[in-house]
Amino acid sequence: MMREMWALYVREMKHWYRIKIQIFMALIQPIVWLGLFGQSFNITGFFPPVPGFDPSTFLSGAPDYFSYMATGMLSVIALFTTMFAGMSLVWDRRFGFLTKLRVSPIARGIVPVSRMNSAVTRAIIQALIVLLIALGFAYIPGLIGLTLSPEFNLIDLLGMVLALVLLAVGFACLFISVALAVENQDTLFGLINLLNLPVMFASAALLPLAFMPDWLQAVAKVNPLTWAADACRTFAFHNANPIFPVWQEILFLGIFAAIMIGVSVFAARKLLK
Amino acid sequence: MAAIIEVKDLVKVFDGKIRAVDGITFDVQEGEIFGFLGPNGAGKSTTINMLVTLHRPTSGLAKVMGMDVVKEATKVRRVIGLVPQDLTVDDDLSGRENMILQADLYNVPKKDAVERINELLKLVKLEDAADRMVKTYSGGMRKRLELAEGLIHRPKILFLDEPTLGLDIQTRTIMWEHIRKLKQEHNMTVFMTTHYLEEADSLCDRIGIIDNGRIMALDTPATLKRSLGGDVIQMSIDDARDFTPQIQGVPGIVEVKKEGSEYRVKVIKGDTAMPAVLKAIIEAGGTVSSVSLQRPNMDQVFLEYTGRSLRDAEQAENSNRGERMARAMAAQRRR
Repeated sequence: MMREMWALYVREMKHWYRIKIQIFMALIQPIVWLGLFGQSFNITGFFPPVPGFDPSTFLSGAPDYFSYMATGMLSVIALFTTMFAGMSLVWDRRFGFLTKLRVSPIARGIVPVSRMNSAVTRAIIQALIVLLIALGFAYIPGLIGLTLSPEFNLIDLLGMVLALVLLAVGFACLFISVALAVENQDTLFGLINLLNLPVMFASAALLPLAFMPDWLQAVAKVNPLTWAADACRTFAFHNANPIFPVWQEILFLGIFAAIMIGVSVFAARKLLK
Repeated sequence: MAAIIEVKDLVKVFDGKIRAVDGITFDVQEGEIFGFLGPNGAGKSTTINMLVTLHRPTSGLAKVMGMDVVKEATKVRRVIGLVPQDLTVDDDLSGRENMILQADLYNVPKKDAVERINELLKLVKLEDAADRMVKTYSGGMRKRLELAEGLIHRPKILFLDEPTLGLDIQTRTIMWEHIRKLKQEHNMTVFMTTHYLEEADSLCDRIGIIDNGRIMALDTPATLKRSLGGDVIQMSIDDARDFTPQIQGVPGIVEVKKEGSEYRVKVIKGDTAMPAVLKAIIEAGGTVSSVSLQRPNMDQVFLEYTGRSLRDAEQAENSNRGERMARAMAAQRRR
């Protein structure tokens, strides 16, 4: 079982790193987001500094909006990367590779799980690239960089990775399940878009909850993206006032990931008979 | 010899109305090459897809090595190999990587896998192209790779769905050689579909003629052809005399027809009767200016059992039933 899973994981990864444009996209996409969006929307820069007012109190401990947004961007990148796990399944169906898998004696659950593993690997690689770029901005004159807590250490980094892994597992399995159920690629792409933007904006990934109306806050609080982004900030800035305690957010993310793995394996068993 | 595939009253209905396979019953013996011959949309691929566990039968029973294709699907999958009509090799991997992936999926022991992969790549003459990306392969190369992949786990039964469709004649001949060799060397059972008459004729030990989801005839190619009444010797004799009595004196002659200088001689076994016929004419002082032996071919067999020639069937079916079925099957495949 591990052997088949590993073989399919390696195949997915080969597809990814062999296509040069994808590596290029993996690098350029976060630069565009951080560079254009993060720098131009640096809300805290819009207003003259008010004496006695510390922006970090409403930015989950981040010293400025760019730092806030860059840490949230890690979760957004994980979300956007995992949606390709669903797309690749649709291509495999179209080009016949899925037929090969269906005829082979492998357990059906291996199909979503191996795909999820490779999507999570890509998501983490991309998120780490974003983190490095955001940190690197501090060394470019005229740009704001990501400023972490002075006490940031390896445990914090591992904590961030854990939150992002759980988030990516959950969303990868969600998109794979949708791709298993939806036959048409256009429908799938539409569904992914329909899902992605609301998930991104109805969360604390890019904007603090305090800026949102009450109903939106309620939605954002049950959004896994909020849990991951907030957990990342707790680790990055040693934030004392998170939305939920960090252990709770990790627990929620773990439950989300576990349920979604279950759904995708169930979907594969039902739909790939 | 025991039946390795047993099919009883198998039915597949698509979308509740298209009866792609309409109650077929047959056995395939161990070690034989068994062929389904029929036009597009006859139900050949649908039958294969049910036997290899891709489609669920609507009703009826299908067993592979005694295992039910629905209830024991995973066990069936372990002992069969499939070379599907639509290719499933991965374009973005090299030929060798595709083979390794296949070996992993079928849990071929690692120490055997490398050797077996080299052996198979050599068998299908891809050893030089093995490390190239499959997207640079020609259609024939892909098909050969697909064949090699289907053999990696030494299946007991190999299913070939239109193995030579769209291949040039040279590649087709190579495929035939491979298939014959596999049967001889490994006593592998081969179940294939084709709509090439000469393919069915030269490869298969037994042929099922299938049309509109039903088996119209099932026997060895020789018996099927013999059932049409033997061979025909066609001759021209530029002589005013009538040689009919001399020809009829040769053993095994069924009927002689004379039209001017042209003679049509119906005979049970043309290859052995022809020298005797020629000898009789020459001894009687006649000169044969041309001679040809016509043997009943599968096209005539098809005509005999389905009431239309295979080519006509293709044309008619392409426009409606075949197309509807292709659509229904594509929808199933997407599932």
